[in-house]
Amino acid sequence: MWAYLLRRLAAGIIVLLVLSFGVFLMVALSGDPLAQLRANPQTSPATIAAAAQQLHLNQPLIERYWGWLDGLLLHGTFGTSFTGQPVGAQIAQRLSVTLKLVIPAVVLSVLLGVVVGVISAVRQYKPVDHLSTGLAYLFFSTPVFVLGLLLKDFLAVDVNKAAGHTILYTVGESTPGINGTWNVFVNEAQHAVLPVLTLTLITYATWSRFQRAAMLDVLNADYIRLARAKGLSPRRVLFVHALRNALIPVITVVAIDFAALIGGALVTEIVFSWYGMGQYLYNGLTGAESPDVYAVQGWLVVAATAVILFNILADLLYGLLDPRVRYA
Amino acid sequence: MESVRPPIKRLTRSSGDPEGPTRSRTSTSTGISRRKHWYRTAALAAAAALVAAGCASSTGSTSKGGSATTKSGGTLTFALDEDVAGFNTLLEGDNEFVLTEILDQTLPRVYEVQPNLKPALNTEVVTSATVTNSNPQTIVYQINPKAVWSDGTPINADDFIYNWQAQSGLPQFKDVGGKAYLPVGTSGYNQIKSVTGSNGGKTVTVVFGKPYGDWQALWSQNTPLIPAHIAQKVGFDAGFQNFGPAVQVSGGPYEIQSYTKGEDLVEVRNPHYWGPQGSLSKLVFRFILADSQQPPAVQNGEVNMVNPVLASIPYLDSLKSIPNFTVTVQPSLEFQHMDFNESNPYLAMAGIRHAIAYGTNRPQMISRIVSPLTTSIGPLENRVFMPTEGGYSDTSGGYGAFDPTKAKQLLQQAGMTMGSDGYFHPNFGPQKGQDFTLSISTTSGVEVRSEIEQLFQANMKAVGIKINIQNYAANTLFGTIGPKGEFDIIEFAWVISPFKSGQQSIYCSYTNSANCQNNWDHYADPKVDSLFAQALTTVDPTQAASLFNQADAQMWTDMPTFPLFQAPDLFGWSSSYANIVPNTSNVGIPWNANQWGAK
Repeated sequence: MWAYLLRRLAAGIIVLLVLSFGVFLMVALSGDPLAQLRANPQTSPATIAAAAQQLHLNQPLIERYWGWLDGLLLHGTFGTSFTGQPVGAQIAQRLSVTLKLVIPAVVLSVLLGVVVGVISAVRQYKPVDHLSTGLAYLFFSTPVFVLGLLLKDFLAVDVNKAAGHTILYTVGESTPGINGTWNVFVNEAQHAVLPVLTLTLITYATWSRFQRAAMLDVLNADYIRLARAKGLSPRRVLFVHALRNALIPVITVVAIDFAALIGGALVTEIVFSWYGMGQYLYNGLTGAESPDVYAVQGWLVVAATAVILFNILADLLYGLLDPRVRYA
Repeated sequence: MESVRPPIKRLTRSSGDPEGPTRSRTSTSTGISRRKHWYRTAALAAAAALVAAGCASSTGSTSKGGSATTKSGGTLTFALDEDVAGFNTLLEGDNEFVLTEILDQTLPRVYEVQPNLKPALNTEVVTSATVTNSNPQTIVYQINPKAVWSDGTPINADDFIYNWQAQSGLPQFKDVGGKAYLPVGTSGYNQIKSVTGSNGGKTVTVVFGKPYGDWQALWSQNTPLIPAHIAQKVGFDAGFQNFGPAVQVSGGPYEIQSYTKGEDLVEVRNPHYWGPQGSLSKLVFRFILADSQQPPAVQNGEVNMVNPVLASIPYLDSLKSIPNFTVTVQPSLEFQHMDFNESNPYLAMAGIRHAIAYGTNRPQMISRIVSPLTTSIGPLENRVFMPTEGGYSDTSGGYGAFDPTKAKQLLQQAGMTMGSDGYFHPNFGPQKGQDFTLSISTTSGVEVRSEIEQLFQANMKAVGIKINIQNYAANTLFGTIGPKGEFDIIEFAWVISPFKSGQQSIYCSYTNSANCQNNWDHYADPKVDSLFAQALTTVDPTQAASLFNQADAQMWTDMPTFPLFQAPDLFGWSSSYANIVPNTSNVGIPWNANQWGAK
């Protein structure tokens, strides 16, 4: 088990290194961070030259990459973004915002996806199955920004009008100037309702389909028929024997999607003005001094690490759910 | 999962230019390509007019434009579509329009451009600005004796000296640690010979090495004074990059209380401000980067004011449907234009450039792109002045007319023959015997510019010119394609200023690469050079405007660049607030926020 873990981690680190080098090259070569400065008719060549030096743009690419890697491995720093701010601190702030959005959405999506998927499978081709299938396709096929706008226009505005005061907020993570732990918590929760709901609806829709398909496979398996034939209660057959096995493919999807969401839910962040990992990457690629290779590298390390770790976690969960899985 | 969905396209704006015109990188889906920044430069000034008489004093106070009685207290939330990169508006990389708006009420300015686009002395900061000598040009400023930074340090000559040195571009002046200052621009400051203080630091004498007509732009607009005693400690280049105590020191009616990256910035009244206190107790700048998300926030009461980059028709319609919300669309100081690269052997011929202009249907472009937002904008007949500026006059001499018949005649006169496929065939040059083909380039992904290109392509097909559209990312277009002259025709927007000296670098002869680096068109005309040089050292604003217009008239004759239309600027605010007066100059709508208040 431990040897397996170490092998997976070592492989992950190698992948990360190769990935970081490739991304560094591609991002660094994709544009000129000083383009806007050069386009400014009044900026002197001396200022442009000094800025290039400050951003290490006058160094060879390999040297710049090595400098970044050296800082990461030997000093634990992510470098400084082109806007002059430490990438590590920026990433930490952005990650905390993303997690506030993603964790509740993923928890809700898993619960909703599993419950809806199981009910659909058990009640296959019944009205409840048709309804859940229809809703899943509806949410899956609705663009995120459309869903967000609909929730704003037809849920938040109407709810607030009916209540006579603001219950649901449409932009930002909180209202500035709120004091007191409880008040801040409530205010942040009010701001989180719509983005979390948006992300939940589009995420659960996919996962419920995986869960339904996996459950149907298992319910038609011989060992389930045998369990029923042996007289086990339907509840025990369903939850102990069927669901446990049917969770394995869903766990794979959830692990991959969760890791991807840690990299940012860009559209949801933009629609609800949450400045998380997605917008951080987007700004690094398109902002005023883009491409900001150090910001993108910082994002990459976190996002790629999440993907690697969550894949390993998924593998471990397979073993817990199915004792037949062995780690040799 | 969201990760597999196509992301919303967001168009970012270019960083600002404090001194000269700025290329705007963005545009709306329906036609608003928008300002960024500017500028300080040029010689308007009533004070300067008096210089001819020997000396002059400029003491007229800023008129903030609002006079309604308001309740004290309350909060106004203003949606901004871009976050700040840092807090030093003088620093390259930080100098963005949104930062100027944020700092309107926290940093002192000597002059403020009014909504009528004329500068007025800010007497709360400087009680007088006197031109005491014309040779060498000398200005004496009397600082308001009550003026102090919010930490109690007096605002004095040290601030003027530091801000000059940091923006002078002179190598002998260094930032902390011996590093070079990285100002976004040096215009005007690089012509100052000395800045000295007297009278306990409350009198500042500025002597110019060579005359600078736009002296009222100095320490003004989006290059306000930053506190010298703070900058000298924390550093000009790095000290204001993160929110902290250095950023919170204010010399205006409000001070920054808090900042949350990507979320909001809050300003509260500056208790140390010596002038009238702001009426509102709090100004909240809320960063809503997707313009399309602003109307729902207005409707939900979370935002009270908007001034979007992307003022689309759906956006305008959404705002208009909200009760008790005022919406106005005004012509801005930005204009779309096409430049012709005269290093192309065909575009080197003025007749062909004129043919292209005659064949371009500007009224059609305007009716399709601008008119749905406002009908007050027509074809632009001047490059230097906008119709909303006092100096504007139609200098086109008829060269801006839409006349496809004349376009064809000019192409024939240039040595081209109409082919059987409807395109002209040059009888000379590299395209001899082939369809006459040119390319047009602009920033990719900007709908209004794509629409301009498509209309232009259709116009040119009608007169017998084949147009290929070749667009690039903004960074590539402005970083490589333009400066290296790798285009035939390039289309983008200029954001200009009431201070006109910044435009010289666009139109003066490209052979003067040190000063005319913004002339990408390989255009050169000694007459235009001479007229600009005269205008920029002419202190009488009427005479200066006349010279600028003569230069522009010559450029219509030369046609190195073809102006299309002025861009509209949309402002909206809740009707429950009073004294809100839009300002289309680069200070933005919060220029008089200290007068805003709840009705």
